[in-house]
Amino acid sequence: MNDETVVEARDLVVRYGDFTAVDRVTFTVGRGEIFGFLGANGAGKTTTIRVLCGVLPPTEGRVRVAGTGYEDGENAIKAKVGYMSQKFTLYNDLTVKENLDFIASLRKLDAAYYAKRRQEILELISFKKGLGAFVHELSGGTKQQVSLAAALLHDPEVVFLDEPTAGVTPAGRERFWALIRRVAESGKTVFVTTHYMDEAEQCGRIALMREGKLVAMDSPAGLKAAAFPEQVFEFEPIEELSFSRMTAFQNHEAFAFFEPYGHRFHAAAANAEAWRHWRPELEKTFRIRTIAPSLEDVFIRMVEDRP
Amino acid sequence: MNFVWSRAAAMARKEWFHIRRDPFTMSLALVMPLVMVVIYGVAIDFNVKNVKLAVSDSDQTQASRRLIDTFSSSGYFRVRRDFSPGQALDDLVAERARAALIIPPQFEKNLWSGRTAEAQVLLDGADNSTVVPVSQYVNTIQTLASERIAGADMRPPYDLRTRFLFNPELNSRWFIIPGVVVVIMAILSIFLTAMTVAREWENGSMELLLSTPVEPIEIIVGKALPYASLGALAVVFVYIIARAAFGVPFRGHLWVFGLGCLIFLLTYLAQGLFISIASKQQTLAMQLSMLTGMMPSVILSGFVFPIASMPKFFWYFTMLLPARWFMVISRHCFLEGSSFLELAVPFAALSLSCLAMTALAAHKFKRTLE
Amino acid sequence: MNKTLLGFIKKELIQALRDPRMKYILFAAPIVEMTLFGVAISNEVKNIRLAAFFGANDYLVRDIYEHAIGGGWFIPARASGETAQDPFELVRSGDADAVLVPPEGGFTRALGRGDAQLQILVNATNVTQAQSVESYMKAIVAQTLADDLGLTPRPPPIKFDVRVLFNPSLDTAIFMVPGVMTMLMVLTTLILANIGIVREKEMGTFEMLISAPVSKSEVIFGKTLPYVLIGMTNLPLLLAIAMLVFHVPLRGSILALIAATVAFVCTTVAMGTLISTYCQNQQQASMASFLFMFPAIMFSGLIFPIENMPAAVQWLSFIDPLAHYLSLLRNIMLKGGGLQASAWHIGVLLILAAVSAAASFRRFRTTLS
Repeated sequence: MNDETVVEARDLVVRYGDFTAVDRVTFTVGRGEIFGFLGANGAGKTTTIRVLCGVLPPTEGRVRVAGTGYEDGENAIKAKVGYMSQKFTLYNDLTVKENLDFIASLRKLDAAYYAKRRQEILELISFKKGLGAFVHELSGGTKQQVSLAAALLHDPEVVFLDEPTAGVTPAGRERFWALIRRVAESGKTVFVTTHYMDEAEQCGRIALMREGKLVAMDSPAGLKAAAFPEQVFEFEPIEELSFSRMTAFQNHEAFAFFEPYGHRFHAAAANAEAWRHWRPELEKTFRIRTIAPSLEDVFIRMVEDRP
Repeated sequence: MNFVWSRAAAMARKEWFHIRRDPFTMSLALVMPLVMVVIYGVAIDFNVKNVKLAVSDSDQTQASRRLIDTFSSSGYFRVRRDFSPGQALDDLVAERARAALIIPPQFEKNLWSGRTAEAQVLLDGADNSTVVPVSQYVNTIQTLASERIAGADMRPPYDLRTRFLFNPELNSRWFIIPGVVVVIMAILSIFLTAMTVAREWENGSMELLLSTPVEPIEIIVGKALPYASLGALAVVFVYIIARAAFGVPFRGHLWVFGLGCLIFLLTYLAQGLFISIASKQQTLAMQLSMLTGMMPSVILSGFVFPIASMPKFFWYFTMLLPARWFMVISRHCFLEGSSFLELAVPFAALSLSCLAMTALAAHKFKRTLE
Repeated sequence: MNKTLLGFIKKELIQALRDPRMKYILFAAPIVEMTLFGVAISNEVKNIRLAAFFGANDYLVRDIYEHAIGGGWFIPARASGETAQDPFELVRSGDADAVLVPPEGGFTRALGRGDAQLQILVNATNVTQAQSVESYMKAIVAQTLADDLGLTPRPPPIKFDVRVLFNPSLDTAIFMVPGVMTMLMVLTTLILANIGIVREKEMGTFEMLISAPVSKSEVIFGKTLPYVLIGMTNLPLLLAIAMLVFHVPLRGSILALIAATVAFVCTTVAMGTLISTYCQNQQQASMASFLFMFPAIMFSGLIFPIENMPAAVQWLSFIDPLAHYLSLLRNIMLKGGGLQASAWHIGVLLILAAVSAAASFRRFRTTLS
């Protein structure tokens, strides 16, 4: 993590009427970081991101992004950041060039600068279809890459991506993340929300949100260590487990954590004594292996708040 | 193709949730009929009155003053005094007046010397809505003035008596409100269907629906049903207001009227569906339903402008419009009390266009799927 | 010119003009509708189906009937002539709109006796038609008696010399064309502006727009100016039809006409924008446009005279841009009014435009909430 702070949120609160979407959230993000935002739907991820990229003034709290904030004027933050919203943000009935032209005019880019920048950015995403291609003809993954290019057109310091890979094929997601890493290497801060755990693993740091609150924030490894101080095991049932037996195990006194993972289970012992007592019994039903916890386990434990 | 009611009902339920969650559409669908009936009921009157009349009286005699009195006391005109014929003309051009009365200097002298006393009446020929009735009023006042001022006996040696049937008081509301029913139904059904189905295409959820085992016909029925009910509800609404608030009589059979409503509704639902499939985009669907649904049913259906007065071509052309036929049915049911048999021709035509439109929509729908 | 504004205009025009169906709707449809409606509609009542029953020697009624048919206002109803039918039933069944019913023994003989009464049964469902029938019949009967019996009515001592200014031949198209033009102009501009904005909201592109450092006025003008341009392109099209097909004169100054149209299009586009700030999706937008347009047409004086409405309702026509534009068109095209004569209505239109623009400005947000 770089020392220079690029994004800072302090005691951020966003309320819609009686509903508090974001509740006293505080964090900082440094230059060149890939910062992941994880949480269930409605946890306040999108709201936070909207505040940070300048389209939603917070009800309370202070935001500094790339050296500016809401106090510097309505458009101060918008000028400094790139934003790719959750909904698809290009015009389907325009060509790639027409879309980029329009966005350049929105940002009042100088013609020569725009031409140069467009070249760079299309090389960055290795776009090969030609500028005259209609957006509705592009595949889901390519569309998202072009959207990212559009968000990067004015060379912002920070770029906010709200679920950029939703609905994209696994191969497409792979390519998109390679792109994100390249953007971060060039010194930009990437702020990304996602539902996919394998993507979250690639972030430098992750913040977990639940019901508008920040539950935890650390590197993936740090989060795993914090969520699972105890040893984690993988249980592979020797034969098919009925649903009632599974539920029985979930409430078993031996476990602090017992969740299905594919057709296997990930588990953590409640305490050393119980574990010693129950292990021989359990080995009749399961093959047990020691593993490192996955982010999904962390997510389930911390966000979905199962004991 | 097998039709399963429960699946269609599920579609309808989903659509109903859309409507309910969208209080805007809901209130529009219910407020619009109310607004339209009130506008027509309260504000619209074919019996032109209070026509602004600019008067330039260069005679300034008792006779000329009595002539002006005859105009103002008739109730048709509201008099506005001007100093010169030129000023009266200016008023006409600037729309401060719709008609001008110009009394020449020798008016009274001519009258008592036995010559014809002439006065000039100018009408604003740029305003289509007043010229015809106002020129009729002017005729009436000419006779009236001759009798009153000159004491002439203008009665012809015969008695021409007009009996106004079905609407003896010449109440315009009785004419207009049964027509409003048609217009409201046309708009509600065609618009809402065209827009909602186009919306499903536009945001891709139609493809999702089509990938499920739901049959296309179930989708159509399911989508149309809630809007058909809204349309039917609006009719009931308008019917009650028409009867209770405006005292429009209903002399026919309710079931005949109901049957007409049903066929008409079906026809326009099918048309809305057809538009949505053809456009698959809301902006376009909106414009198309305006052009093919609303404008013709307001302008070419006989709602205000009588079809009989149109050129021959339109007399045939409008036969293609379901609204024309339903207009006949609605008016006959309200005012003339016609029986089903007497309305056989409009019913046959309406059913025919219903069948044609449904077939067209179904065909287009099927072709789009392939 | 501002770069953002230019970008908007370019993008909106591309979007509006790329779809061939949309092109048709924007340019071909107004032409077709203008021609169609210009030919079709009129306030004049014609082709009234008339039936008459007369005995063999009741030649007066026969002549009245023939005069009526020959005059162009009436056409023969299916049942007519010497066979007696229930005249009331004839009207009720819809076979005739009006029936001439002579007295027992015939009108001709009754006239000789001096107590002649001729009855006309009229279907008064359509009020205008009924009134027209009465006044046409009066004239026809008087004329027939004058021709047949030399029974000229005494010349009235007071006589009006009635002249219809601006349209002396009572040409229907000249009456209706300004109204139809008004209607078609509002149809394209108001709806397109409204839907154009709401569509961005519904599709999510609006969030992208406001994530750029654009000002409110850039977004508003950027989204509306293109529609003003598109609306203005309709003027030469509609004007060409009006003048070439319908021979409607353009007696006033073309400059005044352009100024009036610009003011009107700005007003409708501004109103469309204001409506769009209340709508979340295109369905709502279309319903709302309709809810606006229907009364706007009704209170414009196009179909029903404004003077006729209750005073409480008349002020509605004051804030109705269609009413002002209709007056302007009638004034400029038919009456030959110049820029000065149009100043009042143009002024009101501009005020309406400014008020709606200011209101949409207040309601418009470049941030979410």
